[in-house]
Amino acid sequence: MQASEFDEIAFFKGIERSGVRALLIGRRALVVLGLPVLTADYDFWIHVDDIALFNAAAESFGLLPTHTPEEARQRGRYVLQNDETVDVLVARSLTAADGGRLAFDELWLRRRSVSLEEGVSVSIPSLDDLIATKRVRPRPKDLEDIRLLEALRGVEPE
Amino acid sequence: MSAPRIRVGPEARERARLLANRSVSADELRVAQSLPLSEDERAEVLSLVRWFCRRYPTPAARLRYVRRAYARWTRHQPEPARGC
Repeated sequence: MQASEFDEIAFFKGIERSGVRALLIGRRALVVLGLPVLTADYDFWIHVDDIALFNAAAESFGLLPTHTPEEARQRGRYVLQNDETVDVLVARSLTAADGGRLAFDELWLRRRSVSLEEGVSVSIPSLDDLIATKRVRPRPKDLEDIRLLEALRGVEPE
Repeated sequence: MSAPRIRVGPEARERARLLANRSVSADELRVAQSLPLSEDERAEVLSLVRWFCRRYPTPAARLRYVRRAYARWTRHQPEPARGC
């Protein structure tokens, strides 16, 4: 069977071209790294000042925000959706369940740019930072994902 | 011989969904992180990664595969399933 018509590579390209400081996190980042895991949604952590820019890039794909930029800033997160769901974190920093602190600006400095295919790249956190994002409000599957990511330590990414 | 099919009712599905999406406590997280990754476990994960990257050589191809696989999986769910 076919997935829906949403062209995710064009979506990533649109984000890249918009200049938004956006990090792909969540399971799709694991897939980019070569881990075969299933996921429904897209998860991004973006810079708090880039909400309007991100929304504009998403709008051309029919994705509409659940909250205004001001509301999103106050809540620290919002969702873009149509028949797709994009969860967007906009907090300046997050606290992990183990007390560790993650600041967007620091993750952004340590980010990796991964070429999805010719002409399209996406930014993802460093391996350590991606693992750290999994410790924020962790669910059982996040514990599994942490172990998968731990196995990649020392392995050259594809 | 295939395994017998077990019918799962909506209540059981909801319980499973809640269990899968529950928050892990700081203590659970600490315990989970204290368990070292064995060499066998690491080798198994890396073997999966090698297979996946050989079958789908670019990240774009892997992402497309996951979309197809997820769509296939949801088609067989009795009601819209989200939250992987």
